[in-house]
Amino acid sequence: MTSRTVFFNIIRFFFLIFFQVLILNHINLSGYINPYLYIYFILLLPFDTPRWMLLIAAFVLGWSIDMFTNTIGLNASACVAMAFARPFVISAISSGPESLLGETPSLRNQGLKWFLYYSIILILIHHFALFFLEIFRFSEFMATLVRVLLSSLFTLFLVLISEYLLYPRGK
Amino acid sequence: MRNLFLFFREHYFYFLFLLLETFSLVLLFNYNEFQGSSLYSVSNAVSGSVNNMFSGISEYFSLRKTNRVLIEEMAKLHSRIPEAFYTTDVNIFYKKDSIVHLEYKYISAKVISNSTNKRNNFLMINKGSLHGIENHMGVIIGNKIVGQVVSVSPHFSWIMSMLNKDSRISGKFKKNNQLVNVEWNGGSYRRGQVKEIPKHIIMVKGDTIITSGNSDIFPEGLMIGTISGFKNAQDENFNNGEILFSTDFNSLGYIEVVVDMMRKEKEELKDSFKSQ
Repeated sequence: MTSRTVFFNIIRFFFLIFFQVLILNHINLSGYINPYLYIYFILLLPFDTPRWMLLIAAFVLGWSIDMFTNTIGLNASACVAMAFARPFVISAISSGPESLLGETPSLRNQGLKWFLYYSIILILIHHFALFFLEIFRFSEFMATLVRVLLSSLFTLFLVLISEYLLYPRGK
Repeated sequence: MRNLFLFFREHYFYFLFLLLETFSLVLLFNYNEFQGSSLYSVSNAVSGSVNNMFSGISEYFSLRKTNRVLIEEMAKLHSRIPEAFYTTDVNIFYKKDSIVHLEYKYISAKVISNSTNKRNNFLMINKGSLHGIENHMGVIIGNKIVGQVVSVSPHFSWIMSMLNKDSRISGKFKKNNQLVNVEWNGGSYRRGQVKEIPKHIIMVKGDTIITSGNSDIFPEGLMIGTISGFKNAQDENFNNGEILFSTDFNSLGYIEVVVDMMRKEKEELKDSFKSQ
């Protein structure tokens, strides 16, 4: 990890938090769907991030979002769960060393299929934890499940758009 | 001992995960106990100032609507000033007017953050304990309910919206004073659920539900909404209905906090009964 990478990650951290809190938290489509793009930060951490750092960074990220939404612990626990799953997801979907090209996971280096699997699984883990912890009852299971799936789709959509905009192919 | 140490070092990832996850879950589920603690007010102060800045900008977009609401409110108040009444000399028979005693006082405040898309929704307003706001006070807009204050810092208050799984408002039918409970179980922010309607009550669509005044939070007679649908349950003792909220929770600009001037007296009365 070079100091340049660290610098960019810190910038990305703050940018995503403010983007989430000031803009995305005010978006709701049909009263159901709420995108959580801020977890893009965890998706984009470099491959060689130490695993303890992964957990701590995710915790701090979730905690910061919680400060703004006054849901102390909610986003933090969902983020930590997602960060915990990340190394396992990466090793499960990577077939050979060539799929870990480059410093950070990206659409350009790993290809669409790899990146889709990677982000779909992690986004689903995060959204599942987030929405079910928020309600903490199973009586509204189906309604919550619909919210999880629709919001995950929306988040995934935003992640892919950011990938195409920020890291265009064949640069 | 050394082996134990090695074991921890080898599996530190799992332990760190468990530690962080437990820590945040404990915080999440003890959330209510943390209200008023230093942790909570720090987060309130930070997010409050950022939200304040942002709502300062977005306020300009709703000026037209705010004006309209203010004008309506002004017309209503104009009709209440003494000059608007036809006065006779009936009052002359009362030497000391102990009948009219101010029971409710209203503090107006601006909403600086609000949501309707979560399962549990909250609002933040730009007034707090310095302005006389305390926990458990009701929050209204016009003559419609909004929610209840759940936490206060010196400059901001945190309000549990009606749109929350913990929110339960005691209401009644305007036409026959039958008590019901109003809740919200997610989904559209326009519609809530009316629970515990006695079976013998005959409902029609459009029946008005108002606050009962039983809960010490809201004065009696505020609009909650109108019945928009109902189901006659066969095997239970109560019917359930659907309510269309009068409040548009998605466009709250300025709200009012209800201060019950006689709350202390009411609580003392209850406590004195308990201690007997």
